[in-house]
Amino acid sequence: MSWLGDVAGGVQRFVVGGAQVLSPWNLFSNTVRIGVTGLSRAGKTAFLTSAAALLLARTQPRFALAPLGAGDVPRFDQARHLAALAGDPPHWPERTDSVSMLALTAQVDQSPLPSRTVRLEFLDYPGEWLLDLPLLALAYSDWSERTLARLEAPAIAAITKEFLGFTHGLPARAPADEALAKAGTELYRRMLGRLRDAGFSYLQPGRHLMPAPGPEPPWIFFFPARGQGPFAQLLAKRYDAYVEQVRRSLASPLFAEVDRLVVLADVLSALHAGAAAFEDTRAALAAAAGALRWRFSWADALGALVELRMPPKVIGRVAFVATKCDHVAERQRGNLAALMRNLAQVPGDGVTTAHFAAASVRCTEDFVWTLEGRPVSAVRGRVLGQQVLTRSYPGEVPDQPPDASFWTHPFLALPQFEPMRLADGGRLGVPNIGMDAVLNFLLQDVM
Amino acid sequence: MSQTRDVNQTPAAPRPVRPRIEAEELPAPRLEAAIELPDLPDRVPRQPLGMPALAGSGAAVLILGLAGIETSNLVADEFARGAALGWTTLTIAAAGFSLIGVGFLREATALSALRGVDRLRADLAGTDARRLVRAARAWVRHLPEAPTLLPAIAAINDPDAVITLLRAGPAASLRAKSEALGRTAALQAVAGIAAMPSPGLAALYIAWRGLRLVRQVAALHGYRPGLFGTLALIRRTALSAATVAGTEMAANAAAHALVSNPLLQHLAGDMAGAGIAARRMIVLARAADAACSPVPEG
Repeated sequence: MSWLGDVAGGVQRFVVGGAQVLSPWNLFSNTVRIGVTGLSRAGKTAFLTSAAALLLARTQPRFALAPLGAGDVPRFDQARHLAALAGDPPHWPERTDSVSMLALTAQVDQSPLPSRTVRLEFLDYPGEWLLDLPLLALAYSDWSERTLARLEAPAIAAITKEFLGFTHGLPARAPADEALAKAGTELYRRMLGRLRDAGFSYLQPGRHLMPAPGPEPPWIFFFPARGQGPFAQLLAKRYDAYVEQVRRSLASPLFAEVDRLVVLADVLSALHAGAAAFEDTRAALAAAAGALRWRFSWADALGALVELRMPPKVIGRVAFVATKCDHVAERQRGNLAALMRNLAQVPGDGVTTAHFAAASVRCTEDFVWTLEGRPVSAVRGRVLGQQVLTRSYPGEVPDQPPDASFWTHPFLALPQFEPMRLADGGRLGVPNIGMDAVLNFLLQDVM
Repeated sequence: MSQTRDVNQTPAAPRPVRPRIEAEELPAPRLEAAIELPDLPDRVPRQPLGMPALAGSGAAVLILGLAGIETSNLVADEFARGAALGWTTLTIAAAGFSLIGVGFLREATALSALRGVDRLRADLAGTDARRLVRAARAWVRHLPEAPTLLPAIAAINDPDAVITLLRAGPAASLRAKSEALGRTAALQAVAGIAAMPSPGLAALYIAWRGLRLVRQVAALHGYRPGLFGTLALIRRTALSAATVAGTEMAANAAAHALVSNPLLQHLAGDMAGAGIAARRMIVLARAADAACSPVPEG
């Protein structure tokens, strides 16, 4: 009876699609909130800076920066980031350490009807914090067990040995001691930093790597540990307070309002970091994607009605983007997009998805390099701070998750190229690869 | 002849090229992308010259050309009579024609400046962000506020914000100054009508004062229109008067406030048309400001 399943699936998609089209937000609101998400160092700030510059340079429809009103979220400083890219010498935007938002408005022509004003809200936040979202569904004991299981993998033993030695050595009935909590947290933070430097992404909690501005509250001092004693109970209480903070500051006010999403991943760097880091990136992407709201939930809707607020939105469109694709030649960018397709998927259907290989800010040009007597498609650009061109052929990009034979060949680290010169300070847009396709996909149903 | 192939002998797979990263030896400039700029919209083709313009141009060519030929003949004749006489005639002719040329050049510059205002206004009102920002810079460059405004425009990446900045800054300041000139002219119009012995002279005075007001506002905007420039400016002012008609009520209020002086009130009450003249001066100042300002009305 497979046809019956197909029909049921079709009806479900029709109902879900119809509900999304006729939802109150589409009827009464012209605001589209786009979450720019991704793991740390994926290039979210550069993506948002470039996207805004490209939209502002468009003449039809014409976009303009919009005020943020009286909300709590700070404004994304697009002008400063663009100035950093356009500078001579140029600089990459600084690491994001807090949530910020950029709002644009556009007059959309829909003749013969009067033109419509559409407001786009782009949300930027530290990539480290994205992996705090899966914590919302986990109790402290479950999170500790899963985290310690990952940390006990032999491939990373050299990095985790010190912290694991500490946490495994804690007595089962250890007292709820503040000095012990601080010492363990410091060890855990140091280990997370070293794992990040080694190319790992599935690192929780995010605020251990990217603390929120201001003095640290007491509940920030916790780390994964096994046991049921007073010390473990203290850590569990702090974990719960942390999760509640994530719910109040990130999940409810920001991610609950996102109705389309960009998920960025630096897949090329993960290929360089090795099999363990690549698998870690894959697991992190899956965990982050699983924590977002893809389906309409009657329970959430009823809960919202009880609290006299609008039900949370459902993400209806998501673009998975493999960033920094200008670090490989054009011949390999198709493989990169295909690899992204194999790595990142939305849990469930009813969501319009697309996969891209893009470079928000282009840094290189393609050229043919004769290596070992054979022509190879490679790229070249100037590395930050250097006056000479650097040629790069990092290796071949697979079009699907690499098998064991792939890891026998090296995939070189990506040089930190400097951005291409921005014409007219970026007013005409930013040199890029594939950004128009990403933006058109995200906005084609609202423009 | 048949070719045979040993099926047991499979060709060896080519050894993959070893990845590498190498720096070149010679310094190279920063890479630059060839950004695909959107096609700029074609400008409206210029209208061919009308009959009055053609006739006027023809008359000017005839007058100047024939006068030039006559003068050349005269200079040649004078040289035939004597070198000193010839040089004197040549100097006089050259000075005369130079002054005429300077006059024409000034007219041409003034007309060109007015056309430049139209171009800037079209660019500032257009949808092309690149042209808009370029026009804003071009206009601001000649204003006293340039040192503070140019860096601000460079820092703003939003064309709408640039327009808002221009409207709230130099355009508002120029409008305020124009209105001050209009109020002065209105005051003088009321007083002038009272002082004129006949209605004909009063009308002549109002016409002259209006013309002067238009030139004053133009000078405020940095233009020095000559005869033709002033005519072109009056034409533009008449056109832009339609756009400021909405301010009629405000002009009324300003005129009433102006003649609140008991003496002027008495004069305006006694003199037919004095109040109307005052109001017209204020409207004229606003219309002239709108004609001279490239910043589109909000």
